[in-house]
Amino acid sequence: MLNFNPPIEEEKKYNDLKIVEVEPTIKINLRSNKREFSTKIGKILSILPPNEANTSSGNESYSLLWLSPDEWLVYSNNNTKSLNDQIELENNLFNEISKLNQGAVTNVSDHWVMINLKGSKIFDLLAKSCPFNFKNFKKKGSVVQTVVNHVDVIIHNKDDNDLNLFVRRSFSEDLWLWINDSARFL
Amino acid sequence: MSKNLRINKNNFIDQTTRISFKFNGQKLFGYKGDTLASALLANNIHLVGRSFKYHRPRGIMTCGSEEPNAIVQIGNDASLTDPNVRATEIELYEGLDASSQNCWPSVNFDIGGINNFLSPFLPAGFYYKTFMWPAGFWEKYEYFIRHSAGLGKAPTRSDPDIYDHQYSHCDVLVVGGGISGIMSAKLSAEKGLDTILIDDKSFLGGSTIYQENESYKINNINSNKWLANEIESLKNYSNLVIKNRTSLAAFHGYNYLLARENLTDHLSINERKGKVRQRLWKIRAKKVIIASGSIERPLIFSNNDRPGIILSSSIKKYIDYYGVKTGENISLFTNNDSAYETGISLYKSGVKVNVIVDIRKNSDSLIVKEALELGLKVLWGSTVVDTQGYKRIKSFEVMKLSDDGNNVVGDRSKYNCDCLGISGGWTPMVHLFTQSGGKLKFRNEDNVFIPDENKTPSNQISVGSCNGEFKLNEIVINTIENLKSFLSLSNTCYDGIKIICPNEKSKRNIWLLPSDKPIGKTKPFLDFQNDSTAKDVKLALREGFKSIEHVKRYTTTGMGTDQGKLSNMHALGIIADTTGTNMGELGTTTFRPPYTPLTFGAIVGRNVGEFFDQTRKTAIHNWHVKNNAEFENVGQWKRPWYFPKDGENMHQAVQRESKAARDSAGILDASTLGKIDIQGTDASEFLNRVYTNAWSKLEIGRCRYGLMLNEDGMVYDDGVTTRLGENHYIMTTTTGGAANVLSKLEDYLQTEWPELDVYLTTVTDQYSTISICGPNSKNIITKIVPGLDLSDNNFPHMSFKNTKISNVNCRIMRISFTGEHSYEINIQSNYAEDVWIKCMEAGKEFNLTPYGTETMHLLRAEKGFIITGQDTDGTLTPSDLQMDWIIGKKKFDFIGKRSLYRSDTIREDRKQLVGLLTEDPKEVLEEGAQLVENINEKPIEMLGHVTSSYFSPNLNKSIALAVVKSGKKLKGKKLIVPMENKNINVIITDTVFYDKENKRLNA
Amino acid sequence: MFIINCPYCGERDQTEFSCGGEAHIERPKQPTELSDDQWAEYLFMRKNIKGIQFERWNHAHGCRKWFNMVRDTSNDKIQAVYKMGEKPPVK
Repeated sequence: MLNFNPPIEEEKKYNDLKIVEVEPTIKINLRSNKREFSTKIGKILSILPPNEANTSSGNESYSLLWLSPDEWLVYSNNNTKSLNDQIELENNLFNEISKLNQGAVTNVSDHWVMINLKGSKIFDLLAKSCPFNFKNFKKKGSVVQTVVNHVDVIIHNKDDNDLNLFVRRSFSEDLWLWINDSARFL
Repeated sequence: MSKNLRINKNNFIDQTTRISFKFNGQKLFGYKGDTLASALLANNIHLVGRSFKYHRPRGIMTCGSEEPNAIVQIGNDASLTDPNVRATEIELYEGLDASSQNCWPSVNFDIGGINNFLSPFLPAGFYYKTFMWPAGFWEKYEYFIRHSAGLGKAPTRSDPDIYDHQYSHCDVLVVGGGISGIMSAKLSAEKGLDTILIDDKSFLGGSTIYQENESYKINNINSNKWLANEIESLKNYSNLVIKNRTSLAAFHGYNYLLARENLTDHLSINERKGKVRQRLWKIRAKKVIIASGSIERPLIFSNNDRPGIILSSSIKKYIDYYGVKTGENISLFTNNDSAYETGISLYKSGVKVNVIVDIRKNSDSLIVKEALELGLKVLWGSTVVDTQGYKRIKSFEVMKLSDDGNNVVGDRSKYNCDCLGISGGWTPMVHLFTQSGGKLKFRNEDNVFIPDENKTPSNQISVGSCNGEFKLNEIVINTIENLKSFLSLSNTCYDGIKIICPNEKSKRNIWLLPSDKPIGKTKPFLDFQNDSTAKDVKLALREGFKSIEHVKRYTTTGMGTDQGKLSNMHALGIIADTTGTNMGELGTTTFRPPYTPLTFGAIVGRNVGEFFDQTRKTAIHNWHVKNNAEFENVGQWKRPWYFPKDGENMHQAVQRESKAARDSAGILDASTLGKIDIQGTDASEFLNRVYTNAWSKLEIGRCRYGLMLNEDGMVYDDGVTTRLGENHYIMTTTTGGAANVLSKLEDYLQTEWPELDVYLTTVTDQYSTISICGPNSKNIITKIVPGLDLSDNNFPHMSFKNTKISNVNCRIMRISFTGEHSYEINIQSNYAEDVWIKCMEAGKEFNLTPYGTETMHLLRAEKGFIITGQDTDGTLTPSDLQMDWIIGKKKFDFIGKRSLYRSDTIREDRKQLVGLLTEDPKEVLEEGAQLVENINEKPIEMLGHVTSSYFSPNLNKSIALAVVKSGKKLKGKKLIVPMENKNINVIITDTVFYDKENKRLNA
Repeated sequence: MFIINCPYCGERDQTEFSCGGEAHIERPKQPTELSDDQWAEYLFMRKNIKGIQFERWNHAHGCRKWFNMVRDTSNDKIQAVYKMGEKPPVK
């Protein structure tokens, strides 16, 4: 067995702010502009990809984030999923979508690192280096792709004061350090 | 000298909390709530600094951010000292240590003061005129000029303070906490809008809050009491955020504003520890209300710069707000009514007001009547013509003005004083309005530039005195009315408000007051900080400068740290008078951000030290760190550069690594290469269009090198693309080009070829790439993936296999960037570190040697492989690189194809890539060095330059790549690389130095 | 810093976008049939006007979609944004 080495493996608390890397999480990128796509996704994941910008859909197992009119990110809500589950889901989607020319399925589980932020000041924290207006983002399930401290991120509003933030693995340590630094000055 | 000039009647200073501080080494006391300036004045200290050019003694002139003179150095710690701090703005704290600037050895005895007596020889443009010739002498002059230039001292060590940034979004931002700002904030909050109110002071209320005067009433109570109640009521609004000590720095388009909040500058040094010193707010407001107020103008007469000459309204604030007498025998000099309010305040505080000199012939305003009834003496129709006193004003001389105000008549009469208050009327603070793109109009009746309501950018409004409203009733009523439409309010909490205030305000404006002496014999200062006088402006006009922007730069008027807040209007007025132009037509100089100086710390925020730039790390980074790698920055990536062993230097390490890679085996972390997953039924067609070569016939399971051009035909990027399935490829790009390539490809897909069924997804971080090369690479891979058939038949060069390492899927490609037999393992990043460690263990018996980017560059240079961005610079075509073989001439089209036969790209004398060998094989060329043919030629023709250069341990000689004019035809030709101390002889060769037959690929 | 109304994501800060130069310059369908001058016209010649300009923008740090924008370069007012392939809503 190879050792699994996610980049951060830490959990930190600052007053009521809690930040933690949540791995392993299955993440799969979906792209399509085909008509059958939605139905196929619905069959496999039991959720339909959202058509409305900056929103998400989800069930107990998966969250499905809108990224652009022809792009979505699905990720597993339960971080105890094994590597086999990841491969199985990837293959399942790939065979039904990519193989049948209904779009593109790409495993991005290790491309993105998911960081969970909880607490009443998470938006103030992000606003230290993010120009996005989070006042329009308080609705549960909202999704935004923007930049935090000059790094591209996807942010999913999971619940009240509870966010999942996706950052590219190579930038994750840098952003993690920045988040920890900024948390000191809230 | 030391005296206590504090009175006990005021409400604003906490006289129970004494604060000790130092000024020029002297220990002094003030109170909580004081500024440095008010505390100094309370100690009877006026002389604070020396002027910039003439080193004239200068004192405190104002009580706010417009202060030109009283700028000091705070602290003497090498990293914390702060220059050019306005004494009028900094709040007193325990242990404050301030000293005067621009004087040596001391502010009381300053050697530079001799410049004052040399001033006839230091006219406007002195430096431009004097140091122009003889040519070449500038370097000598510069030493002395630099030595005497500058104000405070910059810290010599890095700043340990913490600075922070914060974005904020609001419905309404109100700038300024005076009466109109407070009313605006309340109206906005009352409507339920998210509102931010900022003010640069520690308290709200502007100048109304200390206006203890029965003549000003709102709803039947004194205006100051009414305003205090209003401020109190703001606490009821949870949707209103008030930020004190916050100064607006810039107002950009789309209501994007920058404001600097001072968080610790008013605290004692001990209380500051671990806290953010300043926070830069980046505010995006749906609507902006500017209530920035106005500042008082000085009057321009000879020697109007002596310590003890203070703006009349500032004298009033010092007495009413701080309880500080600025003198004990004060006179006032004015052209309008406001000085009379100061006179009344002084009189009521028991300070002697000797005379009020008024250039007007008379005034029947209520406030003037009140002053006269109190027995204050007024000299009507008169002007001050000169002042005396070196380090503090002692006396001034007055003459009668002629009817037209152009001349003085009669005799001088002299008055003693220790303080002279001056008031030249009011200037609306329109800086922010103009920064945001608003245009000004000139109001002739009182000589002010005010916002033009027809040329105001949308979603902003100016209210109060910054909008040219100076009377209390005007300010209050107009603020309410204007906000009603601006915020769509039908009725407000202020409806039916009743205001009583003195209504008559007259002013007689004379920009440069006349004197009985010719102007050449007078010193009427305009810009107190830069020592420019009215005669400098007149000289500039005589010398032919017409544009106000030119006059400004020639005389340096308005170019100090105060940006001419006091001086600009008078300079414009004097230019208009002298040239006979209307001021409205003349216009103003440009108001540029920041409004007041910003610290560098506030500008950069937390992007210092480890956060200076974002860094990207590979999944194997920790291993590299543990194994002593030196790192190189490649874009934002940290890449191992080389791995020094036991005291090796870079050269020794690279020579060892390069040799090991060719002799046995080397291992490289190639994870930083960009990777793009390409899917869709038109994927092959897409690759045909973006690469120069043909892709349709590439078999599944095979890899191909591709070259990508810009439409101009120049090489843009390169990399290996692998066919994973019928409609599925994975493309690699250069490390630095990854983001740009993806964006460019998306651009073509979305805009030029939307008909293609292709999807691109970046997977750069999904997979890590471990490259193992060398004759023993095969043995190592066999150990790691025992079941895989590595025979050339089953797994030839430029192909890949899907397999597993332990439980994890991976893809092994047989591709080579070194010319050696080599493999690249691509594996999900979270398992990459472990695979790398397994490779190292398996490779131990083969001396598997980790190598970095430097060795990689050397090995590929031995093979003549280019690195885009190093050997190319956006001006080289594939043909220039001698890579004509990669152009699919039969293809109908690809990006850049048409450009390859433009008249310019088919020229034979373009710069072309060649190899270089040095005559002395030990001599290593410098990258970037120029190549010439004839060293004696003048001017010497540069034929090209070295792009890559190394000492090859495998060939035991120096090798280089270069681009040379007509290089392709010059094989065998001798050229010269001229260096500082020697000329190096080189010979042009083929670009491939090692294993020209590519035998090692299959070894 | 503009606020740009991405036709797909809505209003966002300019930081998230990159500008791709003048809009409505179509890549020639048959480049080989063009003279050097005609090709150079496509390749190099761009307008740079004070006033109404048609530009291509990419929501680079958002949905990655390209779109068009009508901007008055004299005051930076964005008059319209519209998707690729759509006709400009103002002339």
